[in-house]
Amino acid sequence: MVSGKHKSSRFKKIYVRTPGAKTVVHYRQRKVEQPKCAKCKCTLKGIPSLTSVQFKNLAKSKKKNERPYGGNLCSKCSRATIKEYARGLEQ
Amino acid sequence: MIEVGRVCIKLAGRDAKLYCVITEVLDKTYVMIDGQTRRRKCNMAHLEPLSKTLNIKAKASHEDVKVAFKEMNVEIVDSVKKEKKSEKPKQKRKVPAVKKEKKEKAKPVKKEKVAKKVKAKITKKAPKKE
Repeated sequence: MVSGKHKSSRFKKIYVRTPGAKTVVHYRQRKVEQPKCAKCKCTLKGIPSLTSVQFKNLAKSKKKNERPYGGNLCSKCSRATIKEYARGLEQ
Repeated sequence: MIEVGRVCIKLAGRDAKLYCVITEVLDKTYVMIDGQTRRRKCNMAHLEPLSKTLNIKAKASHEDVKVAFKEMNVEIVDSVKKEKKSEKPKQKRKVPAVKKEKKEKAKPVKKEKVAKKVKAKITKKAPKKE
């Protein structure tokens, strides 16, 4: 029977053929996804890809970039949005 | 467009989305800025110039820039420098009391063992008198 911890969705089932010609189920942990830009979906630089528990214990400065929209938008997209904001001020 | 007194919004870095004004044009690419941002050298590519201008002289001081921005209804809040904490009193090392000088014991003079051994050998080797 499957043990309780393996019922979690963070485990991926992998069927392995043993030398005794049996198929056995192995449980492998899924990789954590790299944080991505909300606009262009490119990976965010300077932010580690960790599980939520590991991420929680990080220092605030290591979770996101210092600039506005840091940790949510990449540098290109943040510049573009600030440009739009500045041009919107003049109208 | 690039001139002293031009109001801009900074695009890059931790001062992004803040108002600044050009105080000095250094060359084609670089200018000196001041305002809500830190007073620093900046690339023109990192600035979005606005149509507004301020009446300031070249190399204007931070206080002049502050006054000029007040007319534009932009408040500049300066970061307060932390006062240095008074130094903690240093613990002085306890100086140990003057050690009593150990009396130097006079080493016992070794007796001449060699002479004894030689004597013993001589006595052993000596033939017994019948």
